[in-house]
Amino acid sequence: MAYPYRHEKETVVLTRGFGDPRTRTLEGWRALGGYKALGRALEMAPNDVIEVVKASGLRGRGGAGFPAGVKWSFMPKDDSKQPHYFLINADESEPGAFKDRELLRWTPHQVIEGALIGAHAIRARQVYIYMRGEFFEPAQIMARAIEEIYQANLAGKDILGSGVDIDVTLHLGAGAYICGEETALMNSLEGRRGQPRIKPPFPAVAGLFGKPTTINNVETVAAVPHIIVNGADWYRSFGTEKSPGTKLFNVSGHVVRRGNYELPLGFPMKEFLYDVCGGIRDGRQLKAVIPGGSSVPILTAAECEDLALDYESVAAAGSMLGTASVIVMDDRTNIVKQVRRMVEFYAHESCGQCTPCREGTEWLAKILRRIEVGQGTEEDLDTLLDLGANMTGTTICVLSDSAAAPVASSIEKFRDDYLALFGRAPEAPALAAAH
Amino acid sequence: MSSRADAPERTPLQGGNEGWAGERGEFESLSESDVRGSSYVGKRPPEGGAAGAACSYPFQVAERDPDAPLFEGPYRERLEKILSRYPEKRGALLPVLALAQELRGYVSPGTMDEVARVLELDPATVRGVATFYTMYNKRPVGSYLVQVCTNVACNLCGADDVMEAFLDAVDAAAGDTSEDGNFTIIEAECLGACGFPTAVQVNERYFENVTPEDVPAIIERLRAERGANGKEG
Repeated sequence: MAYPYRHEKETVVLTRGFGDPRTRTLEGWRALGGYKALGRALEMAPNDVIEVVKASGLRGRGGAGFPAGVKWSFMPKDDSKQPHYFLINADESEPGAFKDRELLRWTPHQVIEGALIGAHAIRARQVYIYMRGEFFEPAQIMARAIEEIYQANLAGKDILGSGVDIDVTLHLGAGAYICGEETALMNSLEGRRGQPRIKPPFPAVAGLFGKPTTINNVETVAAVPHIIVNGADWYRSFGTEKSPGTKLFNVSGHVVRRGNYELPLGFPMKEFLYDVCGGIRDGRQLKAVIPGGSSVPILTAAECEDLALDYESVAAAGSMLGTASVIVMDDRTNIVKQVRRMVEFYAHESCGQCTPCREGTEWLAKILRRIEVGQGTEEDLDTLLDLGANMTGTTICVLSDSAAAPVASSIEKFRDDYLALFGRAPEAPALAAAH
Repeated sequence: MSSRADAPERTPLQGGNEGWAGERGEFESLSESDVRGSSYVGKRPPEGGAAGAACSYPFQVAERDPDAPLFEGPYRERLEKILSRYPEKRGALLPVLALAQELRGYVSPGTMDEVARVLELDPATVRGVATFYTMYNKRPVGSYLVQVCTNVACNLCGADDVMEAFLDAVDAAAGDTSEDGNFTIIEAECLGACGFPTAVQVNERYFENVTPEDVPAIIERLRAERGANGKEG
């Protein structure tokens, strides 16, 4: 029951309350069985909670797909010497991604319940929910939900009489994509510029304020209460062996019904596009798909034919599932323009620490702008690829790699679109008017 | 193939909902308040409510006073609540800058220095942080800061035309403030509402599924709200 469209092929777990304002409230969330999982988790030893999540195979939904339970197990088992922190990454800003916003605005208590369980598991007494500043509306909903949990003794001292103390703090960012990178987020939360840190040390050793820290995506923690109540085997009954569970697929661009759909991982891409999303708009043909947000390589229509939507299959096809933010482009799309727009985004959002990124993103954008207005040459394509190669694997974080990825994949797969702009293709399409 | 492939691509605007343009798909009965959550949220107290929620107020709002005193009365109380949530004063820097902008509408160098004093930080440290983040206005903006997402997902669906329509409607260049002081239109990076293109952020609210044709109604609605608020104030 995703919002704003439903489909009978969805497996509804996390999206149950989407489109129902009653689910937002503590009363409404409890009516659906909410906070039972928290009660159960607080009766369990922290390590036992970690074991259940480990057994479920839940993988991080922020893009990297790292197993959540394994991440939790990296934390020290003794919190008597220094505090532990649990961070929720609600800095959703990857172009194409709009799943966490839906979880936050429709099911705030689902996110908070998962955060409290995670905090208990890693022995943290403080949860920070770092939400991007632009999400004022979801933030007000979350703030109201936080008021409710304090009034109901679901946060603060001695939660539900368990002897466990956990505080929850909602913190707003202020407009910086890079703060979605986990160590940049920590710097930002400490009141610094959002610049990624060199790793190691990893957050479980020295994270927020230099203390052991675990950070998870909104969608990851939202799945946790369901796993605690229904068990690891139940969760594994959805999806594939290596990519268990359900996933929110957030689709944008040229499909008939855009929106969020909750599907088991491994769902076929073609069925997703043509059945669940209603096919391509205006009866057009599919040209390209970015399957996991703007940072992942572009796929051609042919590459989507037999593709399954799970971490392994999309990687095998040369891209990444990422945040499962599927951007669909029809046959009128000017790929060069869209790549240029994405690259300009990365140039704007580069934190400026590393030279290959700070300089490289700007140069990519400049050359792409030149090509777009018909002043490029074929030599520019070699320069773009060379620049991109020097931006890959050479910086503290992967923003630089992300900027280079669509450039390289588009030149490889849609070279004709570039050639057309040089006026060399036999039948140059009129790209200037296309979106 | 599902029969819903024939579903209308767009929910038509309904009476009392002009200029919101929220795409409700199969959830047409939902009101604007249902989607925005405004009745659930209610009016938030200026002193901050629960401390865990005190760091999360909208800091891009139409009502502001560039000379407003910072950190007095209920706002002093809110400042104390914010400070209580971080083990180091510096952790409060982003929410405190946000509080200053909420009251004054932008963060001038002088305001940054006031923030530095209250958090016991070097003025240069605060400048370095404040200028890193795009949402702190470094100069005054119109009562409504209109941010049009032109990134890829919205761009594919015509965001450039929506941007043009806003500029035309208020007769100002991007980044400039309209003559009546009401509007500043800027391009924004991805707003995280990619399924609802074109996404437009107007101060603390999102307007979604905006087409160039919707723009005059949105501007009219905002002018009316501003007029109504002015009378009340």
